[in-house]
Amino acid sequence: MPTIIACFKWVVDEAYIRRGSSGELDFSSVDYKISDYDRNAIEEAVRLKETLGGSAIAVTVGVPASSRGVKDALSRGTDQAWFAADDTFGHLDSSQTAAILAEIIRARIGQYDLIVCGEGSGDLYAQQVGPRLAENLGIPCISFVQKLTIDENRLIAERKIEEGIEVIVAPLPALVTVLPDINIPRIPGVKDTLMAGKKPAVTIKNDELPAAGKVLLQTIGLVASRLERECEKFGTDDAEIGRFVGLLRKKGVIG
Amino acid sequence: MAGVWIFAENHERILELLNIGRQLAMKMETRVCALICHKPERAEEYIRRGADEVLVLPPLAGNQPLDAYIPVIVEESKKADPDIILISATSRGKDLAARIAARLNAGLCSGCMDLKFDEESKTLIMERLAYGGAAIQQVTCTTRPVMATIPPKAFEPALPEEGRQGQIRELPAPSPSAVQVLEIRLKERGTKDITEAKVVVSVGRGIDKKEDLALSRQLAEALDGEIACTRPISEELHWLPEELCIGLSGVQVKPDLYLGVGVSGQVQHVTGIRNAKVIAAVNKDENAPIFKVADFGIVGDLYDVVPKLIAELKK
Repeated sequence: MPTIIACFKWVVDEAYIRRGSSGELDFSSVDYKISDYDRNAIEEAVRLKETLGGSAIAVTVGVPASSRGVKDALSRGTDQAWFAADDTFGHLDSSQTAAILAEIIRARIGQYDLIVCGEGSGDLYAQQVGPRLAENLGIPCISFVQKLTIDENRLIAERKIEEGIEVIVAPLPALVTVLPDINIPRIPGVKDTLMAGKKPAVTIKNDELPAAGKVLLQTIGLVASRLERECEKFGTDDAEIGRFVGLLRKKGVIG
Repeated sequence: MAGVWIFAENHERILELLNIGRQLAMKMETRVCALICHKPERAEEYIRRGADEVLVLPPLAGNQPLDAYIPVIVEESKKADPDIILISATSRGKDLAARIAARLNAGLCSGCMDLKFDEESKTLIMERLAYGGAAIQQVTCTTRPVMATIPPKAFEPALPEEGRQGQIRELPAPSPSAVQVLEIRLKERGTKDITEAKVVVSVGRGIDKKEDLALSRQLAEALDGEIACTRPISEELHWLPEELCIGLSGVQVKPDLYLGVGVSGQVQHVTGIRNAKVIAAVNKDENAPIFKVADFGIVGDLYDVVPKLIAELKK
């Protein structure tokens, strides 16, 4: 029976980010969540476990406050969780996150059959941790998967490419990154949340981990993106509709 | 040989990377090297369009995936030590880039929209979107090579120049793969390419039921445009194919006019319409975020407004 690992990231909910008066990002009223795409990863791991038996394990790397995400991941149906926590883990490089995840999977979890990651994180969306993790572990990587089947000791994945769908077969263990189309994540109920508190979750501190390597991609600036638009509003009476269409004609954007 | 390397899986993307690769190489006073796996007979053309060297990857065995090239590219890169590797951000390109970066222990700027070589610090400064498009992140790489994936159509195709010379060299064939391609199911023809449309009418959750798409289609017809949608419409409701879904993880459009009908304006969707010349919207919620990024917004019920718009357009 397979051991399936789902990796996730606890991120800022981007819908609450505001633009400050001088163009800076205002995070003062943000909330946090399991990155949307990672919810699909967790859901897929749990669904496979429910069909095939075995276990689904959630793994994350983040600041100590990400423990809320650990509980959320457990309430979404995973059986146990591993959490590398440190104050410095809020702004890791993709390569560092992948190195820490690889270390937990290799040294703590040991035997596994499949790793499921989201296609990218909701905050930086670099789409690198999954493929880098597969490379660190020396296992096949199939990214952008929208349908996944496990068959004995291999997987069959339908991945989305520009031309259509590429159907891939790979030996296990392997890593897949999944697209949102693959499933609709469940919404945990009260009972799920209560059960989550009783499931095993191990927190690993930074000093229990080997050094994750240096930053390879340095952020030198982060500003709110600007969409300089006219923001003119119109009513719904005939005169306003006429003025609206007239303006579009004047701008030369319609015939 | 140091220089700017480019890799893309098809002709159009190769030409786009040749353009930006050439621009960078001129500033850095170095060479452009194109790695190609597609139609080696075009190598001469790539030299005319900006490559100083073309490295030809031998064809894959029948069912080998593109990632079989990773060890070949990594080996060659270790020998030649390029300054920069640019890879087109197609699905397979993004996957390949991240895995090559892992093997070279290199930084990688994903979805790089713009890159500038800073002559003073001799560093490449790259820009990308973050937080679903709410922010622009500027990054640099701390090690060699500097790597970036470039979104399709971010740059114009390179133009041919007379009298350019260059070398062509074949790389070793890839080893057999444990991973295999069972089949490729090509997309059904007939799906519209909304990235080329001059007018895009995009529908969002404000539409009550699937049948009501007809109304938005009529509006699109009256505007001589194409219909598109937000993620919930294609992904959760399956009312329209995913090829028509605009957004960060969908399609990026650059029409003259984008008109959102019942679109709330979530940041991921808005990221896909940044390059529209004019953004217009119809939404009954005065506080919908779409109005903050729209040039012209009609505050009203789409079921009332859209028929009026169609009538006005037909006048």
